[in-house]
Amino acid sequence: MSVSTRRSDDGQVLMIQVHGRFDFSTHQAFRDAYEHSDAPVKEYVVDLTHTTYLDSSALGMLLLLRDHAGGDVASVVIENCNADVRRILSISNFEQLFSIR
Amino acid sequence: MQMCDASSPSLTSSSCSAFAEACTVNLLIAEDSHGDRMILAALLRRLGHQVYEASDGLEAVAMFVKLEPDIVLMDALMPTMSGMDAARRIKALAGTRFVPVIFITSLASEREQAGCLEAGGDDFLLKPYSRVILEAKISAYSRMLNLHRSVMQQRDQIRTQNEQMLSEQRLARRVFDNVAHTGCLDASNIRYHASPLSIFNGDVLFAAERPGGGTLIFMGDFTGHGLPAAIGAMPVAEVFYGMAAKGFGAADLLTEINQKLRNILPVGMFCCGALFEADGKQGSIRVWNGGLPDGWLVRVNGERVAIPSMHLPLGVQPPERFDVTMELFPAATGDYVVLMTDGFPESCDAQGERFGEDSVRQVLEGLDAGDHPFDALMARLQAFTGHPDPADDMTLCCLEVGIGGGVTDVAESTPESALSGSGSWHCVYEVRDRALADFNPLPLLLHICMEVPGLRRKSGDVYTILSELYSNALEHGVLKLSSEWKKTAEGFSLYYEERMRRLSDTQGHYVRFTLDHEPRVEAGRLRIRCEDSGQGFERQENTMGARAASVHEYAGRGMGILKRLAKEVSICGSGNCIEIVYDWEFPAQGATSQ
Amino acid sequence: MNDIPRLDEEALAELQDVMEDEFGVLIETYLADSRTRISGLKEAADTGDAERLRKAAHSLKGSCINIGVPKLGNLCFELEVLGSEGRLEGAERLLTAVEQEFEEVARELENFNQ
Repeated sequence: MSVSTRRSDDGQVLMIQVHGRFDFSTHQAFRDAYEHSDAPVKEYVVDLTHTTYLDSSALGMLLLLRDHAGGDVASVVIENCNADVRRILSISNFEQLFSIR
Repeated sequence: MQMCDASSPSLTSSSCSAFAEACTVNLLIAEDSHGDRMILAALLRRLGHQVYEASDGLEAVAMFVKLEPDIVLMDALMPTMSGMDAARRIKALAGTRFVPVIFITSLASEREQAGCLEAGGDDFLLKPYSRVILEAKISAYSRMLNLHRSVMQQRDQIRTQNEQMLSEQRLARRVFDNVAHTGCLDASNIRYHASPLSIFNGDVLFAAERPGGGTLIFMGDFTGHGLPAAIGAMPVAEVFYGMAAKGFGAADLLTEINQKLRNILPVGMFCCGALFEADGKQGSIRVWNGGLPDGWLVRVNGERVAIPSMHLPLGVQPPERFDVTMELFPAATGDYVVLMTDGFPESCDAQGERFGEDSVRQVLEGLDAGDHPFDALMARLQAFTGHPDPADDMTLCCLEVGIGGGVTDVAESTPESALSGSGSWHCVYEVRDRALADFNPLPLLLHICMEVPGLRRKSGDVYTILSELYSNALEHGVLKLSSEWKKTAEGFSLYYEERMRRLSDTQGHYVRFTLDHEPRVEAGRLRIRCEDSGQGFERQENTMGARAASVHEYAGRGMGILKRLAKEVSICGSGNCIEIVYDWEFPAQGATSQ
Repeated sequence: MNDIPRLDEEALAELQDVMEDEFGVLIETYLADSRTRISGLKEAADTGDAERLRKAAHSLKGSCINIGVPKLGNLCFELEVLGSEGRLEGAERLLTAVEQEFEEVARELENFNQ
């Protein structure tokens, strides 16, 4: 299971975890993770603790999530990146669009 | 075989159902006992099938070839050619076509029954014939046949469609290739490596010379690979080359490219890119890097300056949030600018280790005088990966900064308009207040002049004149900056910082252009007057030398260029106004234009 | 031995149904084929060719079963066994029984045909 989800206790935050390689093959599973949530979500947290690799299609998927979450008013947090993932996010200056912690 | 509708060739799931209907089939029976043959044939015809009869193995094979039945019922024991041999022959003749062969036998022993199957038979039927079993088996095999055939049809359809797709892709690659690595990349001061067409990775590299001098280079890495990645390339190429030819600068290009990509690409697709503008005349380069790995400025004096990505990739931010701020560096002849897509540092060796950005820095720091960064980087990459052709999937570009060279005429690339253009006209255009900070009037003014067919070959000259007049008016007249500052490295940064600061308060100021054009016989005269709201300078009429010096001081190097290009140059007003006269003529018949 | 009927009325009735107008032709064909086969059997016995005897007996047995004359069919089976075991003494006695049974069958089948 490459993508798993979890809700916070108060139901406001949807956490999406990506395991292994976050690339083109993850596309459908990632979308499914946020597209069919019944209850409204105030904040999305993408947990990359177990993500070994991230490529440009993953960046695209993050943009899609942000767009789904409302674009400029969205609250999307990316956390627990390893050094490589951090580097890729940093070169693309994604901290301008996402909270990275 | 008569096909029911259920098995008509289509890719709907019903035709692939395991429960496809049985249909009537063409059967070949081979049985040497005449009576038995009659009975069997009658039974099968009653079920609605077409029956061909053979009385021995040899005849069975001959009839199989001629009539191509769907199913064969074969008596195991026959004279001339045994049923087993005939079955083997028939299976071989059928090839990839699935033809069920059912042995008819009253052989009791299991071993002999197994022997039938080993001979290639698919099943057997025992004598005496049971009508019920016969009907059931034929029915089962005809369903199997249908299924097999619809699968084969779908396979063929898929194969055809796949070939079509591949051929369309090949075409798309050709179109892409016409666009992807183009422009003045063959200039002597540019070295580059781009991926082979077969990779089709969607990287682009564009280079154009600006009218009036200076080189613009755009390197882009679209998300994804192949066709979707390549789709963005064409509109970007159009914008890049179109605007560059019209004299637009890097900032305007970036804004337009970002907007275009944001409009046409779906959310989630974007272009990591870098644009740089080298202006040998000004001694500067400006760079915008959004998403590519560090670019590098390799200075002749040994300095290495990294140019990291400071912006989001193109196509992500809406226009109102797009940050077009460029990094500005002084640059001298012999300096190099290096740009690359991430394929370069991401290249791996046999153990899967990345080449990495640190290695790039090391190579550049270890260069000796006279080494070309491009060669050094490619060589080190080759050694690292162990491939003779290193990383297919990357783009690397190196530009050597040159002195302000001659003014380039881009007339050849500007398309001739079908319009004849008016002969005599007058135009006043004023940029004032805040617009002085935000708006560049040069492309528009150039465009107006280019309406004169005879001036189109002279776009370089005209642009240079307009550009010199405007920058003098703006920087020296309105902003009161002194070009003396630019002579030192610290002064250089100071100059541009001050420029930015003073531009934030241009209220009450203006720069006004007045253009006049009069046609002559096979020629014309363009008059350009540029005045600004600045103070001008003190005219010291008593000392010609002093005035000449002030004029020179005021206009920097620009005055020399103006004098070289224009027929007449004169200063009016209190020095805050310059007028030039520029004559042009059609070349004499048969002579080449300059 | 007497338990096995000469004619399998049910099987014959079914054949009549299947063959329709062709039933008569079928009977004639069977009878003609069988005569040929029986000659072949005799030749095989005379020449002491056990293998040929086995094959011919096997074939005739098959047609008999298909037509619906089980008693004759069973006699052919016994001949087949003899042939497969390579024992030809006793073949001549069995052959006579086959011929006799066949004459009876032929007569009854022609009656049935009417």
